[in-house]
Amino acid sequence: MRKPYRTLIVFILLALVILAGCGGGETGTLQFNANGEDFVRQGFVSKDGWAVTFDHVYVTLTDITAYQSDPPYDPHSGGEVTAKTQVALDGVHTVDLAEGGEDAPPILVGEVTDAPAGQYNAISWQMVNASDGYSLVIVGTAEKDGQTIDFTIQVEPEYTYTCGEYVGDERKGMLQKDGTADLEMTFHFDHIFGDAETPPDDDLNVGAPGFEPFAGIAQGGTLDVDMADLQSQLSAADYQMLVDILPTLGHVGEGHCHCETR
Amino acid sequence: MKWKWFVLPTSLMLLLAFTTTAWAHGAKIEYTVNMTVEIVATYDTGSPMAGGQGTVYAPDDPGTPWLEGVCDEEGRFVFTPDPTKPGTWDVQVRQAGHGDMVHIPIGEGVATTGGGGYSTFQIVLMSACVIWGFVGTALFFLRNRREYAHS
Repeated sequence: MRKPYRTLIVFILLALVILAGCGGGETGTLQFNANGEDFVRQGFVSKDGWAVTFDHVYVTLTDITAYQSDPPYDPHSGGEVTAKTQVALDGVHTVDLAEGGEDAPPILVGEVTDAPAGQYNAISWQMVNASDGYSLVIVGTAEKDGQTIDFTIQVEPEYTYTCGEYVGDERKGMLQKDGTADLEMTFHFDHIFGDAETPPDDDLNVGAPGFEPFAGIAQGGTLDVDMADLQSQLSAADYQMLVDILPTLGHVGEGHCHCETR
Repeated sequence: MKWKWFVLPTSLMLLLAFTTTAWAHGAKIEYTVNMTVEIVATYDTGSPMAGGQGTVYAPDDPGTPWLEGVCDEEGRFVFTPDPTKPGTWDVQVRQAGHGDMVHIPIGEGVATTGGGGYSTFQIVLMSACVIWGFVGTALFFLRNRREYAHS
């Protein structure tokens, strides 16, 4: 082979080696957390004076997807997320929001280690039925005026949440190259039972069923019901309040989500 | 010799062209447009988020608060974004477990500064045109004189 061609081939091969050594796009690790907040970890007093603590709060999640949305997603308007980049967490995940102690961090649901860098400002997920047939199971104890009720409330309806950007003490979802960022699926259980530390006429307490309706159907200090049981045992008004408030559980910190019942 | 009667005034006018700063009676006005953004935060019921904590994030550093403040009794929060930072400004308002965030596009394609008078380039161009006008005219008449001299 003539020397010039040999030299050319060497340079071509060298260029290919160098190009092969260059990495792909910039990526990092994106973590997905679920958080029941202190309401679940530490308990709270319901709007009607019941001190509620939680042993377990099981939620089953799937189709968890983070988006670099443009324009930013507006949960008040609903609709689809318009995103140039999205990352999905595979699988169905059942997590216990009450896991760990009172000061436990949010629950790590999973992570994606090769997520493209950028700002993830929207997230969606589905709350689906686990193998036991329930998307949400709340196990706990309520006490008031010397009365104690051990309760298990099981929720069959499935929900799809599409949420905007996390609202909290700091912004989330800003993933740098080779870095780690997190997003959070937040669940506000004060929406179901209300909060004694919030004014009675606050929208939170006005829309919350409280615990009194559940206490009213407990038998021998025990309550073990699902939505079908509640529909038959609660008053129509109380049951409808519960049906209306369950979709509002999902948040991103204090940020809002658009929810559709599946 | 007639050409001297043309060249001398021409030279004088050329001299005046370089003395505009001393002889002009113009004025120069500059202005800057500062856009003020007013946020009004309310709960879903329509009641204002009085005392709500507002946090503003600039486009060039979305992870760091650019400004923090408090909503007034009508849930109103006002700020003036930096016009040198065009892009999407994010504003978050939180209170008592409630919160929301809005994304405001500001600045790109919008002229925020300007002024009256002429730019340096315009002055140079105009001066060059005037000078060349006189020079060209002078050369024209000089060319005619040479033709008459040779005829």
